[in-house]
Amino acid sequence: MHWLQHLPRHCLFLLACLAAWTLAISQDEPVANFFGKHNGTSGHTNNWAVLVCASRYWFNYRHMANALGMYRTVKRLGIPDSNIILMLADDVACNARNKFPGSVYAKSGRHLDLYGENIEVDYRGYEVTVENFIRLLTGRVDPSVPRSKRLLTDDRSNIFVYMTGHGGNEFLKFQDNEEISAFDIADAFEQMWQKKRYNEIFFMIDTCQANTMYSQFYSPNILATGSSEIGENSYSHENDNDVGVSVIDSYTHFVLEYMEGINKTSQVSMQDLFSSYDPVKIRSHPGVRSDLFQRPLEGALVTDFFGGVSQAEIFPVIEEDADTTLQYITRVSFPDQVVHSDPVSPQAYHDQGVDMTKSNAPALTPEKDNMMLDVRWKDIRKWTSITIVGFLVGWVSFVR
Amino acid sequence: MHWGGALFTLCLSASLAASYTNNVPSAISGERYNEDLFIRPLLDGRVATTFTFTTDLLEDVLRDSESSGQHYTLFPLTLGQILEEYSIAELHLTLNSGKWDYDHWGYPDDPSVGTGAELWAWMADGPSSTIDERWTGLRNALAGLFCASLGSLDMRRTSSPSTVFPISSSPSTPHALRYANLPSENVCTENLTPFVKLLPCKSRAGLATLLNPQRIFDADWHGLNIHLRSTEKGTELKLGVQAVFDPVRLSGGRRRDWSFRLLFDRVIHNSCSVAGSSVVRVQVPDGESHALSPTFVADDSAAAVYNLITQVPLDVSMSWPYEHTFQYPRVHQSRLVPLSVQRTLHGSSQIHGLLFIALTNNGQNDIVVGYFENLPALVTLWMHTMEIKVDGVKRDDLISNVTYHPHHVLANGQKSPSTFQATLTIPAASTLHLSMEVSRAFLKYTEHPPDAMRGWDLPPAILFPVCDPTMGICNMRNTSTDVRGRMYTPSLLIDLPTPDFSMPYNVIIFTCTLITLIFGSIFNLLTRSWVIVRVED
Repeated sequence: MHWLQHLPRHCLFLLACLAAWTLAISQDEPVANFFGKHNGTSGHTNNWAVLVCASRYWFNYRHMANALGMYRTVKRLGIPDSNIILMLADDVACNARNKFPGSVYAKSGRHLDLYGENIEVDYRGYEVTVENFIRLLTGRVDPSVPRSKRLLTDDRSNIFVYMTGHGGNEFLKFQDNEEISAFDIADAFEQMWQKKRYNEIFFMIDTCQANTMYSQFYSPNILATGSSEIGENSYSHENDNDVGVSVIDSYTHFVLEYMEGINKTSQVSMQDLFSSYDPVKIRSHPGVRSDLFQRPLEGALVTDFFGGVSQAEIFPVIEEDADTTLQYITRVSFPDQVVHSDPVSPQAYHDQGVDMTKSNAPALTPEKDNMMLDVRWKDIRKWTSITIVGFLVGWVSFVR
Repeated sequence: MHWGGALFTLCLSASLAASYTNNVPSAISGERYNEDLFIRPLLDGRVATTFTFTTDLLEDVLRDSESSGQHYTLFPLTLGQILEEYSIAELHLTLNSGKWDYDHWGYPDDPSVGTGAELWAWMADGPSSTIDERWTGLRNALAGLFCASLGSLDMRRTSSPSTVFPISSSPSTPHALRYANLPSENVCTENLTPFVKLLPCKSRAGLATLLNPQRIFDADWHGLNIHLRSTEKGTELKLGVQAVFDPVRLSGGRRRDWSFRLLFDRVIHNSCSVAGSSVVRVQVPDGESHALSPTFVADDSAAAVYNLITQVPLDVSMSWPYEHTFQYPRVHQSRLVPLSVQRTLHGSSQIHGLLFIALTNNGQNDIVVGYFENLPALVTLWMHTMEIKVDGVKRDDLISNVTYHPHHVLANGQKSPSTFQATLTIPAASTLHLSMEVSRAFLKYTEHPPDAMRGWDLPPAILFPVCDPTMGICNMRNTSTDVRGRMYTPSLLIDLPTPDFSMPYNVIIFTCTLITLIFGSIFNLLTRSWVIVRVED
């Protein structure tokens, strides 16, 4: 009866196999499929932008224009004002020195007004401080802070953080009065990760020696880019003779020029954006840090961070089935091909090959059957492992 | 049941009357919206424009606690929620920029022309801690709504002058006032954007299409104001924009002709369909040398009236065809208001100064006026040095009812503002000089703003009409030489002694160097031993 002596060992071995099988086909997969983490897509459901201009005074007009240029771009690509936190340390549009009141221009020639008529600046003037910035990121704000000044992100938010001002080796100056260091920002991002306040962060910074600012990050899912290496300055791009000061910085100018060719349906990837950097034209060496970023850069779309584009595919309502408890299936997936964020028209259905007619309803039922089969296998695994454990316990207690 | 029937008949008759006169279906019961633009050409070639957007709620939203929710059609929900949340009976917020020249421009249509941000509110009374909490909540909610940094109107700038800003209705429960101002606040497009979004037609139709930020913020004086108060009929919300334009500058220094196209770079194409009335009134100057187009209807006060509901598209223009180049009026022209005021800060020392106020009575009757100052703890007023002089002669009888609260330290270490209030009598055709010594505060290193070298702004002083005890009742006297409404002086810029902000760095470097040298020397002296080393030849 030697096999009976080996029975507990065999049962334990069987139990271990069952456990491994359960772990392998884990519960996370349908959830991941639902959010589209397969195929290398981002898995975000909303977009936020935090745009910070940290310099004061009229001669830093170009920093304000940098931040406003980014503001205009993200608004154009779909992020609403409620999801944008714009921090401007000084008021240049209605400054007494501005010859064109109510307008901020980023190019000499003054063709495009960045201020416009519809702008909301959330933090202005003396409110742009290091403390307010870190409180905004981490969410530790006073209860009296109004809703428009809070970063209400969740763990499915992609955040675009843009900072500009005067800076140096691992620091950025706020209002010529105080500094924020690369360690502060890295710790703030880590707090955000611990509190599940972001899905992915894209950090862009345009100052002197900007690449040092992202050297200290240690949280996952952060993609960072800066305008110049350590020991290098970032230069302004051009002056406007009537405004009287430099109106834009070189790096931001070229990034904005590139973004002008992008609209909401664009499939341009972050790698394309980074490949467009030309150190000769920008007059400094921009850098990229992607080791903390888990997706390949060719698969990350520019609109994942700069735009508020969500991709949804809506299937028609299926018949009610007596067998199933599921009445309606609305499956939201993130396919590779792009669907417009406009309201879906019947035309789109035909383009996708999905027919609104009733004959297509049975096409969905095999999917339904698959799901039922999965549920049954889970039940079998569960009961088998319980019986094996119960048998082992009973055998041990009976023998002893 | 009486009020129900009365309200119903009121609404019915109002809608019938409106539809009979204007042919506009005012089918929204309980709410009324009217817009008005008043244009007044001034003697120095400028044009004062006042936009007023009034929304009336006929039921009492603020005290109707049985209402099942706030359902408004024309009244902005965001403001309604703020009022409900903080139990506000009356709310006034103004954001102004520039200096209103009373002498040459006369009285403004809306009296709150103090520079910067000014906020005051009457709230339902309670323990002072809840009032202060609600005041903080109100400030921050309005700061978020209007993109203004009103969060810094904290207890360092808040006071409670209830005679200067009396409550306009007579509520049944007691109410408390909180008042604060911030003269260094900038006004720009980000304040105008949410302001326009509170209007029913926004900037697409009606008078609000003229609100072009590139022109409004180019004006010599501009301001936004929000007035919300309870009347006996319900709640009245008045949103206003005032601006003083300079057509002479806009036309290159030659002509004072103006039109909508020149002033606002816009014309009105559509009228707001939910507006009960939408009019443009132009004050026609005396004489015949001007021409006003298009054709207008004159009302009883000799102002031209354009009804926007029937007369769209509209571009009003006024020109002086027989005037080749505009000539500015001479300096000795009579002043438009009976009282002129000048406030200056004398003294070149960084510790002491002299606050000097000159009130000039341009008329032939004595003027009794109240004077109010709400100064943050940056300056300390010394009451014992106060002097009142008329033509060099001390006249202590001209001041009465002096109230002075010096600044004191609050529980959180901040200092409250000092308030000074007095009633002054200025004799006819003379100038009264009020002077007081002040001392400037020495702030802590961290209390200085980032641009500390600019200095601080001191809020404007306010002249307000006072009740005359001989009259018995509190209303203004009927003579035309009296002060009408509140008057604001310009704000002052004060230089406080600033530390050398590089000193902490200097001290650290110097101390570290000294310690290194001292420690290094002593350590070497104590531990270094001299050893003779034989060197081979």
